[in-house]
Amino acid sequence: MSGEPPSRGNRSVLLTLFRYEIKRLIRDTRTVLIAIVAPLVLIPGMIFVMRAVERSEERRLDDTVYEYAVTGDEAEWGRAVLAAALEREANDPDTTTGAVRFEERADADADSLLGAGAIHVVVEALSPETYERIRAEEAAEADTETESELSLPTLRLRHRGQSDFSRNAAERLGNRMAEVRSELRDSVYRAGGFPVAIQQVAAVTTENTASAQREGGALLGLALTPFLLFLMLSGGSIMAVDTISGEKERGTLETLLTTAAARSDIVKAKMMGIIAVGISVAAINILNLLLYLVLGVVELPERFVIALSPMDPLLILILFLPLTVLVASALLLLSGYAKSYKEYQLYLFPLLFVFLVPSLVAMLPGMDLRSAIVLFPIAGIGVAVREIMIGEYDWTFLMLAFASTGGAAWWGARLTERTLSMERLISASDLDEADLTGGPALFPRHVLRWFGVMWVTFLVVSLWFGEALGVRGQIVVNILIIMFGGSLLMIRLYGLDAKTVFAFRTVHPAVWLAVLIGIPSGYIVGIGLSGLVNTYLFPVPQNVLEAFGESLLGDDMPLWQLVIMLTVIPGIFEELTFRGALLHGLRKTFGPVAVCLVAGAIFGLFHVSLFRILPTAYLGVLFAAVVLMTGSIFPAMLWHFGNNFIALVPLQLGWVTGETPVPWWAYAAGLAGLVVTFSIVWTVRTPYPDLKEKRPKEFL
Amino acid sequence: MVESMIQVEGLEKSFWDESRGEIRAVDGIDFDCRPGEVFGLLGANGAGKTTTLRMLATILKPTGGRASLNGHDVFSEPEAVRRSLGFFSASTALYPRLTGRETLEFFARINQYPSERVPERVGALIERFGIAEYANARVEKLSSGMKQKISIARTIAHDPPVLIFDEPTVGLDVLAALEMQRVVGELRDEGKTIILSTHIMSEAEKLCDRIGIIDRGRMLALGTLDEHRRATGQHYLEDIFVHFVMANLSDDEGATADIGSPSTSETIR
Amino acid sequence: MQKENLRRPATVNWQDIWILYRRELRSAFRERTIVANSILMPIFLYPVMLWVMFTAMMFVSGLADRATSRIMLVDAPSGHAVLMDTLENRSNLDILAAVGSDSAVALIQAGELDALLTFLPPDTEGDRFAENFRIVIHYDRAVERSRRASDRIEGIVDDYRDAWVDSEAAQLGIAATDRGQFRILQDNVSSGEDMGALLLGIMIPSFLVLMVALGCLVPAIDSTAGERERSTWETLMTVSASRLSIVTAKYLYVATLGITAGVLNVTAMFVSLGAVMGPLLAGVGAEFQFSLPFLALPVMIVAAVALALFFAAAMMILAAFARSFKDGQAMAQPVVLLALLPMVLGQQTDQTLTPTIAAIPVANAAMMIRDAINGVFLWPLIAETLAVLLVMVALCLLLARAVLQFEDLLLGSYDGSFWRFAKERLINRNGSEPTARAEQGVV
Repeated sequence: MSGEPPSRGNRSVLLTLFRYEIKRLIRDTRTVLIAIVAPLVLIPGMIFVMRAVERSEERRLDDTVYEYAVTGDEAEWGRAVLAAALEREANDPDTTTGAVRFEERADADADSLLGAGAIHVVVEALSPETYERIRAEEAAEADTETESELSLPTLRLRHRGQSDFSRNAAERLGNRMAEVRSELRDSVYRAGGFPVAIQQVAAVTTENTASAQREGGALLGLALTPFLLFLMLSGGSIMAVDTISGEKERGTLETLLTTAAARSDIVKAKMMGIIAVGISVAAINILNLLLYLVLGVVELPERFVIALSPMDPLLILILFLPLTVLVASALLLLSGYAKSYKEYQLYLFPLLFVFLVPSLVAMLPGMDLRSAIVLFPIAGIGVAVREIMIGEYDWTFLMLAFASTGGAAWWGARLTERTLSMERLISASDLDEADLTGGPALFPRHVLRWFGVMWVTFLVVSLWFGEALGVRGQIVVNILIIMFGGSLLMIRLYGLDAKTVFAFRTVHPAVWLAVLIGIPSGYIVGIGLSGLVNTYLFPVPQNVLEAFGESLLGDDMPLWQLVIMLTVIPGIFEELTFRGALLHGLRKTFGPVAVCLVAGAIFGLFHVSLFRILPTAYLGVLFAAVVLMTGSIFPAMLWHFGNNFIALVPLQLGWVTGETPVPWWAYAAGLAGLVVTFSIVWTVRTPYPDLKEKRPKEFL
Repeated sequence: MVESMIQVEGLEKSFWDESRGEIRAVDGIDFDCRPGEVFGLLGANGAGKTTTLRMLATILKPTGGRASLNGHDVFSEPEAVRRSLGFFSASTALYPRLTGRETLEFFARINQYPSERVPERVGALIERFGIAEYANARVEKLSSGMKQKISIARTIAHDPPVLIFDEPTVGLDVLAALEMQRVVGELRDEGKTIILSTHIMSEAEKLCDRIGIIDRGRMLALGTLDEHRRATGQHYLEDIFVHFVMANLSDDEGATADIGSPSTSETIR
Repeated sequence: MQKENLRRPATVNWQDIWILYRRELRSAFRERTIVANSILMPIFLYPVMLWVMFTAMMFVSGLADRATSRIMLVDAPSGHAVLMDTLENRSNLDILAAVGSDSAVALIQAGELDALLTFLPPDTEGDRFAENFRIVIHYDRAVERSRRASDRIEGIVDDYRDAWVDSEAAQLGIAATDRGQFRILQDNVSSGEDMGALLLGIMIPSFLVLMVALGCLVPAIDSTAGERERSTWETLMTVSASRLSIVTAKYLYVATLGITAGVLNVTAMFVSLGAVMGPLLAGVGAEFQFSLPFLALPVMIVAAVALALFFAAAMMILAAFARSFKDGQAMAQPVVLLALLPMVLGQQTDQTLTPTIAAIPVANAAMMIRDAINGVFLWPLIAETLAVLLVMVALCLLLARAVLQFEDLLLGSYDGSFWRFAKERLINRNGSEPTARAEQGVV
């Protein structure tokens, strides 16, 4: 039985298919109108309206007459400062409509007027003593300590933060008063014999070496790739949504398949269609934007100068070529999997994320752009485009970017072609026994959804109630109620057998020995992994690490309680949840290796903070592997308990601290230990029953 | 020796279901079609008719056995097979936004009909089926009768020697069904080889030169109507059909009752 | 025949409506896209998105803190050991070996140097101060890393200047209080709840309006055009319930889903905001507490109901003409634009409901909700808002009734085009039989 011979492809057939795809799309006037023409008018229209509203708001803020009152035991002095400040405002306006106007309201009860919003600012002028007194009172109320401060008279600008007007008034007055203060300081210094003005000491000037074009280019370069990418994704979708999922719905796909056109030609023609429409839509939108720029409907930020050499657009076009192919492959694949027009739209949203997020990488601060990032598809193009816009033409760099995304595009196109040739996709029928009978057979289908809901519940509870619950409460709620309780609920709902789900089986004695070796080894390697992650991948601010440590252990619990809360309970119930229920649910959906990785990743995600995800996931993979190889959950429980124990107890007992360095040979020993552990387990393995069978080749 | 236009040997198709494992939709079918004959495939829903035909049309890949059409093997030369084939099925639809004429042109071209002769061919088809009046209207605006005509026309647009009609009269009214049957007859007279699958007995009786009875993935009987009549002692195709199906059922269930004459068992498998 | 249809009294049987309504809901909850859009998304999306944002911000700030700035010093003066020490010992500064200033500038432009710090002798005025100097910082404003390097250097120099000037002034005998002069403080008297209400008032109103519209969209299209596409429309037409009951049940179903989506989305957002934003903003120094006035909840729900009734009616009328989901979507989607109105009109600070605003549909609902969140309840204007919305709903329902009387619509003529229908029926108003179109081939 041989496979289909490599398709020679037929140029004229390909062109015919392509022509007719385009023809059909253009005739769909409704879609063309709504998806292509309407946005051309609506979006600039919306931008225009929003800008107009914004400007009228600004004018309102500038035109108002702000009302203030002066209170406090040094009110006269306060008025004097205020007068000086307002004079500066009158003489040196910096708004388009002239100086901002202020008016005093003399009223006894200024504070309640402020509270009611009848005046905008209350200027409270306090003598040093009064200020000290007030501060002490407030500190006593809030039960905080105060630091000692210089004894100075104080002007408190009391305002309502929730009102833009009030905030604006207070800010303006504050700035002007600061200017008055600088002047006073200067004169005091001069009078005291200071030879120069303060600003002239160690005077700093900054020189911008970038030309205006370079700056403009940098800004545009950041936004260009995501913008174009978005246009292509949405434009290409106009074609993609119909091209397979729509055809499936209408039954014309089968007709097409019975013609003499080669499968690969059909796929290529559809991809060409998506690319053509995507590029056209992107081009139309850009031209449209330029038109509106010229017409003045949409404005650019000030000082925005773009200077492109004629080569730039060409270079950018070339760089975008592999990106368009990648986009088209993804969209076509999506169209192939979606069973209807509606479903396509549902899955498009996450796909947009997958593409747009890497393209934003150029916006990350501190990223050395001339770095390995160029080897990542999509992200590499984003970075390369920005480099071009700045005027840097590092050819090696650009070629690497092209190559990496090009490679991804080529791989994507091949994957698409292969997948779409699969019969299952084209003549899909998903009725099978699980759908009909429900019950335990349905559990694998739904397990991920359940864990998704559990994760969200877990997240919300931790964030919302975390502090109130304390460590004990969190352990109980998160582990016992949400995780374990969720597992029990699943068992009940799907009519599963708890013993099977939780993998309560006996194991070969040698496994226990293996686990005992594994515990310290895994732990050391885990430390190494955390270190690597922290240094190279997810640098975490130091204060977050410290805060986390405190939150976990700050409660001053006796050691035995900590041991139960942090080692025994997780060791038992987290295992039951993740290596029990989750593993059982996933066993049929993925092959053994994939199951370990997925289960590990999910376990990691449940430990929500960024820097804990990878190390926890690593442990999750180890534990899952042990369970799969031994068919029993007990070794994993022991390992989990042991791991947490080593992490907790020596630290608490003071034998080690967070700073204790780990010698390099310990890492090597750890790795060796892990190898030994898994060798033993593998040798005496009793595999987890009823795993996914590999689909025989002929059914691929 | 008349060469077979279509040759099917031991054709098998299994599907892989995640929970049930292998499911055999077609379990070893043999038949052949001679040039210029109308071969009927008779069977209940789910018997494996459609799957067999789709394998012949290379939409599905057989998991066992061999098949060839017009001298081309479905495995090694699928495009050549499809070039020689016109496939008509109730589930194959037309593109709503193309006109009738454009539809015919498209399918002619894409099936590699010589492009310089396409306009002529399309004109001839339009005339033959009498659709000149609305050939330039979009398909979505047409009634189902008109759509059917265009469907048949596009099936033979590239003048293939072999035609497959999968339940072509399903859902049609009496007159439309008769019209369809007339066209099939016409095409046979022009020398086309036709496989017709149906579960309407009268249609099979009227049109088919030979009839194969399929049930549960297997070919139960193969021959002319007269041969079937002699084999089973029944006159009406309906009764013949039931006879074979029942026999197959009880065979599978291990009953030893002997139904029919020894010649029956010869034609089985 | 036609006249009989017009004259037949419209009967509404609430029993029938309940049965039909339940069926619609049941089908909807088995439909993946509807469940995902209206229910799963609100539950999952906000916590996940906020967590992602939070994590991303932590990641980014970690990167920013971590990245060292490569700087170069030229002509550093000898007498300022403290400054030099600070520059050298700062962990996020990396001092490279000095080269000529021209080459240094070239290095900056090539991206290999972040900032150049050149020390110059003071100008004639500044020379009066002993050991004074000037600094010029060259940096590339187009590159964020370079900007940050420049800021860091400026910060260090500013601190040094303050300390230097302070000690000099002290030596000259200028009192500390004279140097400080007076203190200026900004004091925000708004409570945490007020600030929280501000933020909520900005986000929730336009959001609720949009979510109600989006929640109505897919059900509206599905229950009209979608049914036609699946060929169950005709089946439905043959049951014994009256046409009006059928349509009412669908309408209520669409409105239900719209309200559910709106309420769920806003609740999820509120919960996530409070949980994540609160601590986050507290870290920045602002105090935010998220809570809603008690009366705000019923006001929001009433607004959601009124909006849902309006959007459902408008979308269903438009989509009823379409013959496939895709066409239906093209026809009904413009209504969503209307829901974007509050967002586009933006935030007018310190604005509450006024008689004018209360007369603009959709925008008035958003303003009403915003007021409620801020604890402002202007009952007469709220009444006006609701009245306007209900008038819009009533208009839609009247239009629907006028449109539904025509059998041709129910049978799916007019090629799925509202405009052709409007032209032939309502504008021409000849009331005669519809022109015989290709009726037999109705999909």
